[in-house]
Amino acid sequence: MYIPRASKFDPDANGHFGIFGGRYVPETLMPILIDLEKEYRKLRFDEHFWTEVNHCLNEYVGRPSALFFAKNISHELGAKIYLKREDLNHTGAHKINNTVAQGLIAKKMGKKRVIAETGAGQHGVATATIAALLGLECEVFMGEKDVERQELNVFRMKLLGAKVHSVKSGSRTLKDAMNEAIRYWVTHARDTFYIIGTVAGPHPYPMMVRDFQAIIGYEAKAQILVKEKSLPDYVIACIGGGSNAMGIFSHFLGEEGVKCIGIEAGGLGIETDKHGCSLAKGSPGVLHGQMSYLLQDDDGQILEAHSISAGLDYPGIGPEHAYLKEQGAAIYENITDQEALDAFVWLSRKEGIIPAFESAHAIAYLKKIPKDEIKNKIVIVNLSGRGDKDMVQAKSILNIG
Amino acid sequence: MKQLVAYVTAGFPDKAFTLDLVSSLKQSGVDKLELGIPFSDPVADGPIIESANLKALQNGFKLETLFEISSVVATELETYWMGYFNPFYHKGLDAITQKALDLGVKGFIIPDLPHEEALCYMPLMQQRRLSMVSFVAPTDTKERIAHIVKHAQGFIYLVAYAGITGAHAGEDLSKTIHAIKEQSQTPVFVGFGVNEKTAKERAKGVEGVIVGSAFVEVLLDESLSGTQKIEKIAEKARIIKEKINA
Repeated sequence: MYIPRASKFDPDANGHFGIFGGRYVPETLMPILIDLEKEYRKLRFDEHFWTEVNHCLNEYVGRPSALFFAKNISHELGAKIYLKREDLNHTGAHKINNTVAQGLIAKKMGKKRVIAETGAGQHGVATATIAALLGLECEVFMGEKDVERQELNVFRMKLLGAKVHSVKSGSRTLKDAMNEAIRYWVTHARDTFYIIGTVAGPHPYPMMVRDFQAIIGYEAKAQILVKEKSLPDYVIACIGGGSNAMGIFSHFLGEEGVKCIGIEAGGLGIETDKHGCSLAKGSPGVLHGQMSYLLQDDDGQILEAHSISAGLDYPGIGPEHAYLKEQGAAIYENITDQEALDAFVWLSRKEGIIPAFESAHAIAYLKKIPKDEIKNKIVIVNLSGRGDKDMVQAKSILNIG
Repeated sequence: MKQLVAYVTAGFPDKAFTLDLVSSLKQSGVDKLELGIPFSDPVADGPIIESANLKALQNGFKLETLFEISSVVATELETYWMGYFNPFYHKGLDAITQKALDLGVKGFIIPDLPHEEALCYMPLMQQRRLSMVSFVAPTDTKERIAHIVKHAQGFIYLVAYAGITGAHAGEDLSKTIHAIKEQSQTPVFVGFGVNEKTAKERAKGVEGVIVGSAFVEVLLDESLSGTQKIEKIAEKARIIKEKINA
């Protein structure tokens, strides 16, 4: 049974990872966050609670997810490439690992309604799904631009009984969806549970979501030890807010010889102003309840991010990643829209697996590692989601006759 | 006499307008000024102030604009900078508090900087004799209120309801006010959703009210000329000041 473990990267009592993290929210929410933190302290290592979560993960989500040896791309690269198949989870991505656990906590705390923000729609779908299962009302906030580019997921959420709010302010993407979700939360603070979809937001969310996603790393480590009798040389994952990366990194950080590499969205290239590389090009600041790296201008106004992938189109990043970067505990790189698209096609044709645009960024990085460096190495890539949701967008971009 | 604190979005639509507006507010009986700093992601604000924020930024608002405005208005009215934490943090708290001091600004109102995160900046504020205004919300317990208001400076900003600015909501604040008064002598001002209709009720048991969206709504009304906007806001301020003291 999976139970989180205390980590040397756990935040302090006020949720700080070094200078990052914390709770930067309107006062109205502070008592709500303090209550949630108390509740989570009780549940974090509680066997009874985790029995319930594990039951749901096994029977409903379909865990453990496979660690698949991708022999065709392995052959091409001269390395051993394993894919952690989060795309095979119920609803098609890693997001549900988190919503299952947060949904159960919402229920325990007697909340009647859950809300969520969503970029690509995967977290919205995963929240709507668990809300249906647990009999909770569900409202999802999604930027208008994402509503357009992810219309299938919008329909899925509605089909599952959720109400979808199309957010028209600002860049009309994930950042603005999160603003609107926070406004709704402040207004309905007493009876609404906010299911945050990534390792971001005010404490205790970054730690909590990391614990819920760390099942990925926990399984992957056990699986690779069985298959290779050795730890991997590289663990690679894409990063928007950073939950799938935090999840898979969690059990490999600090292991001798294992490089954890997070891939940010390079958009049109980090030399342009159209990307989502908050670690590579941003600086520390406060947004959405936390201190972390942000894309911002001279005056501390938040800049719009850009990525082909709605799930990575965000000007911030989870605070623990900011901390890991500064500590040198993980490495952060980036992949452009075009490189991700190429990898999307490459994996589809080579392995018969269509990755989500987000996950395609992690796949693309395999080709960026110099040939002599990757040769004979064991690599795990977190295949965080499947590409079904991206079909409409892919069809309009790719010229496949 | 109960006081009226006016929030205006700095530099919206431009600097000259803000200066005229503040002069007129002073003549209408406004006691303190909350000079709002436009921010790209104002999560504690409703659609009215959000819209003014975004438009001000589109019109080219920079922090330099704020400094220019402050250098004039801080000599007319007791002025506080109301803004989200990131722009302050990005400029550096040392630099920004020095600037406030130089310009005669009295303090800071930062809606996304709760007590715990503000603590580390308190020594700097005290050293420069600036106030960091404490927020109290109706969701707060008695214990938390005691903790927050113990070192309150300037005034205490009591949020009228769980929600964002400019909503038509209200809550019974009597217990919250009682809990504050048990612990602190610092004046309490109630903000959020205060307008001509609600002001009298909101001012009960406290030293004053803060009015924002009701004024900014007029700023956004494109059917009015600049002069008409200023007249209309001044009139609202006069009515509110009268009602809270009736």
